[in-house]
Amino acid sequence: MTPDANTIVFESVSKFYGEVLGVNRVNLSIPPGITSLVGPNGSGKTTLMNLMTGLIQPSSGQILVRGVPPTKPERLFQFTGYCTPFDSFPRGLTGYQYVYSWLRLSGRSNAEADRMAWDAIDRVNLRDAALRKVAGYSKGMRQRIKLAQAISHDPAVLVLDEPLNGLDPLVRAETIALFREQARAGRHVILSSHVLQEVDAISDQVILLAGGYVVAEGQIHGVRGEIQDHPMQILIRCDKPGALAARVFEHDHVVEARIHADRRGLLVKTRDPEKFYLLLNQIALNGIEIESVAPADDDVNSVYEYLIGEEAAL
Amino acid sequence: MMLLWARQVLAVLRLEMRKSFFARRGLWIYLLALAPVLLFAAYSYTATRERAQRAQRSTAAVLPLERLSEIQPEMTRADVIAILGRPGHRQIEKRRRVTHEFLWYSDARMDFIVHLTNGKVTGVNRRESANLTQDTLLFAGVFQFFYLRLAVFFGCLGVFVNLFRGELLDKSLHFYFLAPIRREVVLAGKFLAGLIATVVIFSISALLQLWALSMHLNAGDVQQYLWQGNGAHHVAAYLGVTALACLGYGSVFLAGGVFFRNPIVPAALVLIWESANWILPAALKKISIIFYLQSLSPIVAPAGMNVPPPLALLASTTAATPASLAIPGLLIMSLAALALAAAKLRKLEINYASD
Repeated sequence: MTPDANTIVFESVSKFYGEVLGVNRVNLSIPPGITSLVGPNGSGKTTLMNLMTGLIQPSSGQILVRGVPPTKPERLFQFTGYCTPFDSFPRGLTGYQYVYSWLRLSGRSNAEADRMAWDAIDRVNLRDAALRKVAGYSKGMRQRIKLAQAISHDPAVLVLDEPLNGLDPLVRAETIALFREQARAGRHVILSSHVLQEVDAISDQVILLAGGYVVAEGQIHGVRGEIQDHPMQILIRCDKPGALAARVFEHDHVVEARIHADRRGLLVKTRDPEKFYLLLNQIALNGIEIESVAPADDDVNSVYEYLIGEEAAL
Repeated sequence: MMLLWARQVLAVLRLEMRKSFFARRGLWIYLLALAPVLLFAAYSYTATRERAQRAQRSTAAVLPLERLSEIQPEMTRADVIAILGRPGHRQIEKRRRVTHEFLWYSDARMDFIVHLTNGKVTGVNRRESANLTQDTLLFAGVFQFFYLRLAVFFGCLGVFVNLFRGELLDKSLHFYFLAPIRREVVLAGKFLAGLIATVVIFSISALLQLWALSMHLNAGDVQQYLWQGNGAHHVAAYLGVTALACLGYGSVFLAGGVFFRNPIVPAALVLIWESANWILPAALKKISIIFYLQSLSPIVAPAGMNVPPPLALLASTTAATPASLAIPGLLIMSLAALALAAAKLRKLEINYASD
C-alpha cells in the first residue's frame, strides 16, 4: 500500500468481534471532502470509524489515514479529531476542562491550550456553559462539547459519529456549515448519521454499508449509476391509485406497485423507466387523472433503500 | 521528544491526581491505612493506663525483689504475704471449680504476679512494661505482617487496578486513546499518579503509626532513639520500604488491571504467590515483591510472634538479601510488569460493550 498524503485508505480490511462480523473485506479510498457512512444499526459504520482512529484494530488488512497507520496515535491525532459515539467523559470535568485537558495531553502549553480551547468552544457556541460540569450538560451540549474537542486542534481529518444527534435546528445548521467549511479547506470530514436527508444534503460522497459490507461508494449520483440494475422508484399522484396499480402490473418491467399511505398516490418500482413513462402517457389518456409524476429515489434514502432494503431505510 | 513526553505525563498527572486521592470508591483505602494507626493508638492508651496502674501498685506495695526467690510452690497466700507484704492488686477467678488467685506486685518497671491455684502457689510470672525495645519489635512485626502484606497490598490493588479498568467501566478511556500521545506515556502518567497517591497515603499512615506507638513512651527516650540511636534511620527505612511496596505492588496491579477484567483474579494470584514465597526455590523467591521488602525492612520481625492461625500463612518470613540487590531487584520486577502492561495497552481495543 503506497501512503497517500491526501486519502484515507482501507485495504482489504476485516474486523471480527470473536465470531461476530464487524466489517468484511473493505476496500476504500476516501478523498478529502464530506463523506457520509450510511447504514442501519450494526452495518459497520462505527466499526469503520473506530478502525480509522485506532480504537480497535483490524483482524486483517491495512488502514492508512493520510499516510499514517492508526496504530500510531501520537502521529494520527496530530491531524485527526474524532467526535465519538460514546456519551461519557472523564469524571468531574467542566466543558472547558474537557477540551483544555485534551489539548494539554497533546503537549501544548497552558496559554496555547487555553486559547485553542476557548476558540473551539466559541465555534460550537458553548461559552456560556463552558465552566459548568459536563455531567450536568444536556444531550445537545454534550454533543457540542465533544465536537469542540474534536475540532480544537484544527484537524485535517474530522471523524464524526452521529454528530448532529441532539442538536437544535440552529446549531445543526451552524454545525453543517462548519463541516462544509472544513471540506472546502481540503480536509476530510467523515460522518455517519441516521438522518439521511441531512447526509444527502451535505455529502460529497457516500459509503453505503450493510451487514459489515460496503455495498456502494462514490458521489451520490454516481452511486445511483452503480445500481442501474436495480428498479427505479417513481411516485405517481392520481385519483385512482388502485386502478392504476392494476394497469401497470400488466407490464413485465414493473416489479412492485404500492398504494401510498394517503391513498392519493402509487409508488411504482420499474426496471425500465423509459417504457414506464410511455405507459403512463397511455394510461392518462384512458380515464385515470394523474396529478404528478416524480422520481422518488434521487436521494440517499432511496439509493440506500434499493441497496440495503426497505425496512432498514425506514 | 523527552520534553514533549514530560509535558504529556504532567497533563495525565493533572487529570489523575484528583481521581487517585478523592475517588469515592477509594474511601476504604484510607480506612485501611488508618487501621494500624488506630491499633497503635489503642495500644499506647492501654500501655499508658497499665503504667499508671503499675505506678499505683508499686506505691501501695514496694516489692522487696531479693525476697522474691523465697516464694516456693505449695505456699499459701498467707506465706506469700508474710514474705512479700500485701500485694498492690489482688485478682480472683473461678474456672471449672478451680479458684485462681493472682497477687500483683510491682517495682514500677515490671509486674510480678504470684499465681495461686486453690490457695496454693503454682507459679510466679513477670510482665515487663511496654518499652522502646519491645515496641520497635512490635512495630516491625505489624509493619511486615499486616501493613505491607495486607494494608499496602490491598490499598495498591484498589488504586492501581482501577487506573485503566476504572476508565473502561466509566467508558472514558477513549479520551486518552484519541489524543496524540503514546499509550506508554499515558501508562507512565497514570502509574505516577497512583504511585504518588499511595506513597503519600501509606507513608503518612506509617509516620502516624510510629507517632501513635510512641505516645506512651518517655519523650526523652524517643528523642534519644531518634537522633542518637538508629531511630531516624529506621523511620527513613520504613518510609522507603513503604514507597517501594507501593511501587512494586502498584506496577503488578496496574498490569493486572490491564490484563484482567476481574480484579479479584490478579489479587488472588499475587496474594497466593506472595504468601507462598517462603516455600519457593531461591530463584522463584526473587520474583516476588515481599521478598525484597522484607530484606529491606530495618528490623527483622520476631519469628516467634503470636500470629493467629488464619494469618499464619501471611507471617512466613523469607531469607534476607542485601539492599544493594534488593532495591535493583524490585525495580527490575516493577519495570518488567510495566513493560508487559505497556505492550498489552498498545493493542488494547476500546469495546465498552463487552467490558
